Amino acid sequence: MSIIEVQNLSKQFSYYKKEVGLKSSIKNLFHREALYKQAVKDVSFTVEQGEIVGFLGPNGAGKTTTLKMLSGIIYPTGGNATVLGYKPWERKKAFKQQFSIVMGQKNQLWWDLPANESLNLNRCIYEVSDQDFKMTVEELSELLDVKELLKIQVRRLSLGERMKMELIAALLHKPKVIFLDEPTIGLDLLSQKKIREFFKYYNQQNKVTIVLTSHYMNDIVDLCKRTIIINEGAVVYDGELAKINAMFDATKIVKVTLSQTVSDADLLQYGVIKNVDGLEVTLEIEKEQAKHNIKSMLDHLPILDFTLEDTPIEEGIAAIYQHGRKQA
Amino acid sequence: MSQLWKGTKRYALIYSLFFKNSLIALMEYRINFIFGVMVELGFIVIKLSYVYVVFRVGENINGLTPYNVMLFVGTFIIMSGIYSALLFFNFVNLPELIRTGDLDTYITKPISLQFITTMKSIDISFAVPNIIGGIIVVVIGWNQSGIPVNLSNLAGYIGYLILGVILTYSLFLLPQLLAFWTVKTNGINDISNALFDFNQMPMTIYNKLVQRAGTFLIPVFLLTNYSPLFLLNGLSKLQMVWGIAAPFIFLILVRLLWKYALKQYTSASS
Repeated sequence: MSIIEVQNLSKQFSYYKKEVGLKSSIKNLFHREALYKQAVKDVSFTVEQGEIVGFLGPNGAGKTTTLKMLSGIIYPTGGNATVLGYKPWERKKAFKQQFSIVMGQKNQLWWDLPANESLNLNRCIYEVSDQDFKMTVEELSELLDVKELLKIQVRRLSLGERMKMELIAALLHKPKVIFLDEPTIGLDLLSQKKIREFFKYYNQQNKVTIVLTSHYMNDIVDLCKRTIIINEGAVVYDGELAKINAMFDATKIVKVTLSQTVSDADLLQYGVIKNVDGLEVTLEIEKEQAKHNIKSMLDHLPILDFTLEDTPIEEGIAAIYQHGRKQA
Repeated sequence: MSQLWKGTKRYALIYSLFFKNSLIALMEYRINFIFGVMVELGFIVIKLSYVYVVFRVGENINGLTPYNVMLFVGTFIIMSGIYSALLFFNFVNLPELIRTGDLDTYITKPISLQFITTMKSIDISFAVPNIIGGIIVVVIGWNQSGIPVNLSNLAGYIGYLILGVILTYSLFLLPQLLAFWTVKTNGINDISNALFDFNQMPMTIYNKLVQRAGTFLIPVFLLTNYSPLFLLNGLSKLQMVWGIAAPFIFLILVRLLWKYALKQYTSASS
């Protein structure tokens, strides 16, 4: 049995609109027209133990809503899901003791207290033994390089340090499933990298299952072999990140440095001009004709330097967002 | 049974940590703590001014001597201290947790959500002056009313006080649960606070209709009136039983409504 099984999960929210101005506010006091938004529609997938799955999608795509349903925070309006064999929204104690959710924009540590006080509170809430508690805090604080900061008030820590403390708090009870909702949001590049490395290591060591949402491509590329792309509440891609481009990817990117300027008309023979910056030119060329075109370019253009690249993965993803194409 | 004992022990331990953590946090802001105490002392003076008025007039109110009235006012001050120290900030914060979606993290904890959200913050700067001040007023009233200090009187007084705390919890949490639907509850808060203040004076000063409504419909008079009434032999058998039953009935009611309300929770945008 898969550790996470999701079948046709749906969530509909109701909301209302308000025009600009006080008049409409007064009108709204008496009558509000209910509108409905289908935040998640018929989402289905499974996740196996030890997998790291990335959830990608534009803002409002339904990623966080899906995570919130899988962690039992909100009820779905349709479909079914099990995590570790439990229906999350039944909120069983045994289930809660085996998973963790970390939300980059929310914190669970007491603001005015040193982190170790909050960790101790979590120890009691999760019924972690003294010995395990000491070992885990020791290990995680060393891995994340925050051992010396445990006694400092949380509000005096930097965002990156605080997030590391949040992670320790979330992993204290050794969860089998971890949901990460934008865990690196707002962090500098170094902190982002450190946290990514940490999760990579933690996943390998403990075989935990991780579902991650992030807007930072590097998070997904570094950590997740498999990516589920959600757009407008529906799954539009489920598979290896590296293969996303293959779906559309009929093109390659050629970057050349010229020794003298060449007219656009000459360049257009080989492909679509993406960028011209002095003597630096970027062209997009058809994959099938790549070999022939490159050979011809080298023969006929004054080329000093030359690189051949795949279309950036972001472009493939953007294309999926736009086209909403579904791959089985 | 052992499971229940284990659970109770665990919750007691967690509550002691809430207490400890709140105390540590409070001590971080010494000036704020001192101001809190000063504000509360001011409120006590206002509450005591009612007693002063009673003494100035020097007449009995519906059979209650001014010293009897002190028992009621003192109990009200103690309860105000307990309410504002243990419950008030948690209750006020609940709509905020719902509005901002901060309830999310609490929901995922393997502990009663109602317990953690309604008991987490404790502010003793409110409790200290009120409880000490209230006890002094009660002791004077008790002594001067010539009520014997024996086990049954003490047990009755403290017992109804504890029942009053349970009822205060239930009665004032109920309107806050509306936040699951309406998100903000400021309007209801004002009404709740006004109802609580009905106890500033003994319930016997109100007419029979108000007394009945405040006993059975919205039992605000049970919060602080029954302890002194017990001492003054002013409780009928029905009132004695109702005073014990009502807190538990309302506790069950608030629990059921809590569970229902939680299903309405939609969280907030991330």
